[in-house]
Amino acid sequence: MLRSTLLLAFGLAAFAATTARADEFTKTDVERYQKEFEQVAAKGRELWTSGALGTNGVACAQCHPNAANTHPETYPKFQKQLGKVAQLFEMANWCIRNPLQGANLPPDDPRMTALVSYITFERRGVKLAPGQH
Amino acid sequence: MSEFVTRRSVLAGAGAGAALTTLPISMVTLAFGGEREDFTFTYISDAHIQQIKGASFVRNWDQGLKRAVAEANLVKPESDFVIFGGDLAQLGKREELDHGAEILSKLKGKLHAVMGEHDYYLDLGDYWSKLYGPHYYSFDHKGVHFIVLNSILTSEQWTFHRWPTAEQRMLEMAGLDNPNGSPFMVGDKQRKWLANDLAKLDKKTPIVVFSHSPLQKIYKGWNFWTDDAEDVQALLAPFDSVNVIYGHVHQIQYNQIGSISFNSVMATAWPWPYPQSYAQAESHLPVLTIPMNRADPFFERDATGWQLIDIGSGRVAARYQLWDNDQRTVAFDHKAGHPVDVAYQEPTQRRLPQTHY
Amino acid sequence: MAVRKRAATTLAAMLSLSELCFAGAGLAEPLGLPPLTIPQDNPQTADKIALGNRLFHDLRFSSDGSVACATCHKDDHAFTDSPLRTSEGVGKKTGTRNAPTVINAAYFTSFFWDGRSPTLEDQSQHPFLNPVEMGLPTHEPILLIARSDPFYVELFKKAFGKTGDGVTMEEVKKAIAAYERTIISGESPFDRWRFGNEETAISEAAKRGFEVFVGQGRCVSCHVIEQNQALFTDNRFHNIGVGINRAQFDVPRLSAEFLNAKSKGVDVDKAVLTDPKTSELGRFAVTDQFDVIGAFKTPTLRNVAVTAPYMHDGSLKTLKDVVKHYNNGGRSEGDPAQVNDYLSGGIRPLNLSEQQMDDLVAFMETLTTPAYFGAKTR
Repeated sequence: MLRSTLLLAFGLAAFAATTARADEFTKTDVERYQKEFEQVAAKGRELWTSGALGTNGVACAQCHPNAANTHPETYPKFQKQLGKVAQLFEMANWCIRNPLQGANLPPDDPRMTALVSYITFERRGVKLAPGQH
Repeated sequence: MSEFVTRRSVLAGAGAGAALTTLPISMVTLAFGGEREDFTFTYISDAHIQQIKGASFVRNWDQGLKRAVAEANLVKPESDFVIFGGDLAQLGKREELDHGAEILSKLKGKLHAVMGEHDYYLDLGDYWSKLYGPHYYSFDHKGVHFIVLNSILTSEQWTFHRWPTAEQRMLEMAGLDNPNGSPFMVGDKQRKWLANDLAKLDKKTPIVVFSHSPLQKIYKGWNFWTDDAEDVQALLAPFDSVNVIYGHVHQIQYNQIGSISFNSVMATAWPWPYPQSYAQAESHLPVLTIPMNRADPFFERDATGWQLIDIGSGRVAARYQLWDNDQRTVAFDHKAGHPVDVAYQEPTQRRLPQTHY
Repeated sequence: MAVRKRAATTLAAMLSLSELCFAGAGLAEPLGLPPLTIPQDNPQTADKIALGNRLFHDLRFSSDGSVACATCHKDDHAFTDSPLRTSEGVGKKTGTRNAPTVINAAYFTSFFWDGRSPTLEDQSQHPFLNPVEMGLPTHEPILLIARSDPFYVELFKKAFGKTGDGVTMEEVKKAIAAYERTIISGESPFDRWRFGNEETAISEAAKRGFEVFVGQGRCVSCHVIEQNQALFTDNRFHNIGVGINRAQFDVPRLSAEFLNAKSKGVDVDKAVLTDPKTSELGRFAVTDQFDVIGAFKTPTLRNVAVTAPYMHDGSLKTLKDVVKHYNNGGRSEGDPAQVNDYLSGGIRPLNLSEQQMDDLVAFMETLTTPAYFGAKTR
């Protein structure tokens, strides 16, 4: 199954070879995409620093200025709070439920995407360390 | 450790292995000459009482302050007075200050309060003054000169001409990592007052300064910083024994610059990460500081607490009463000439860093 | 750092060799429990365990010959004295604490509700001397029997190679601890569901209860569950408002009086078991630290459905009462309106519905090991 899909993809690429390659992005594409990410990350910071995610006015930034001490590079990892190996969004939801006294966001909620974008942006340049405690 | 560290290991709950207490305060001969009573005072800071609406407040921060007050009241022998180190409120509101003041009112002993930026930037400290009096002042106690500074001031331009409303100004200053905020400073007027206040003192008089922000430069991005720190230090430098105790940073820090020792105190509300944990930050955490263990968000009081400050020989020993964590004591070591953590300073004594990612 | 590197290398090796199945294989422990650590100076042997079993059940090691370890830790009561609220010692004297189960105590890192004893070996010697438990003046009467009863003479010789004066409390303690280390139990319906992938091992209500347990109920904060096993305890101490709420206004007086008495050499073991109010100081009595005033050790929840009543003082009769206590933010019926100021941070109102609370109870009822299904505790 996987194999035939790959073959099909190759065939299509060969067919279109006379024009630009499907995976070729121009500099302006890349810049635009980067801006799009940054806009989402900026929205994430807005949520991070406001009390909008919870019900008691507490903001993520009160304990995590610049998203410090969130360690996105260590996920997935075992989280005692959750009793299992968990992803970053699950820990973010733990904080939303507890200190912020709010309700879980679905993993693909645009707000969760924005939060994760902001957290990881502030941690850019740090090596991945999955599972690390 | 120095005799200073061990001499008063008589306080209930004051540290691992500390002997039991109820011994009377003893008279001691002090390094700076003369005889003086040894004494302790209680230091509680950064409660950040936060109103949700009406009579409802964020429970977590309330509980931190209540617990500190309840525990401080258990200390025997009673400490001489209490310092509240600033940021009683989260957004400077009258309701928050009143609610916090009510919790603090249960404390035994006289309370001296220090101004924090969260108390100040809504009405420029007006309501706070009604509760706690002047923004800066000094007092003497048993041979030690105590100075309270308001170190969280900033420029006229930022304070008066930048924001459409007082609420907006407060919000901007309330965000620790907010680039729209402004560096703190003590300012010309207060430095002039300080110079005058110090002028009448003998250089051997031990001095303890209380400020909210560190009177040293650690990390500007989070205002772990006072812009005119060097100017203030210069005024204090001629004295043999100076101790600056500050809040704001919600973590253990200590340092020595010339004759000036620096000790931070914990928050009762929440802990802050050390600046170096922010990958994009340039931080100047004093090399002396052995960082405290990371907070475990699970135990809401972890890496928060209050302290008992022990003043002997005019130098400070800060006994950190940490919740759900190992107790720590940072005390001036006369041989070393700077504060040390009495248990963990030596590299061989350090425990594996507990990171709790 | 070196340790981390080795772990990473091992994981990489396992992944590349497809030996993942190795990870769960070959463990002797029942489903749901981690490998058991046996102290190096007290290895398990059949003779020692048999000796410990006998000592544990011997009524003669009490002042009036009526109380053995097994009196408060009955085999057929899931090693508790359920449904007693607090234990009955010699002359029907009652103490201040509810007898915790011995089951899985082998995994604990401290013993007694306030953790005043660091090992099973150390723990075993104290109840003999407590005036409200076994009431002996010294350990001598135990050694007298251990050195003269032919049965014991034989067993001590076999287990330790010692006779006569060679038999001391050291051997007695080691034997009892070795026996207690055999009382471990997993394989509960929960274990079969969570770790054995048996989808139908527990009810739908229990599954919903599990979600409350790890979610809104925050129970997992202290009653720890891990990826491959669950001890249901963090081996730490927390002030959850039981007992101490009612004693809260006396804490300044109690703590000062207790420290005073302690500095004059009072026996902590006796003080906390004989004076109900001092008992409520909890872990503080052991460490003198303010941050553990009114704090008690997190008990395991395994077999909790057959070990009523609950809490260090046995003050809550049913699991539903326990859940309600937590749901109220650490307050039970009859407590003062205000929780005590020393309350642990994580304890706060949970806003659980009746349904969620019932589901939580249903979940806890799945934690019983089949061997204790019929425990005579009701």
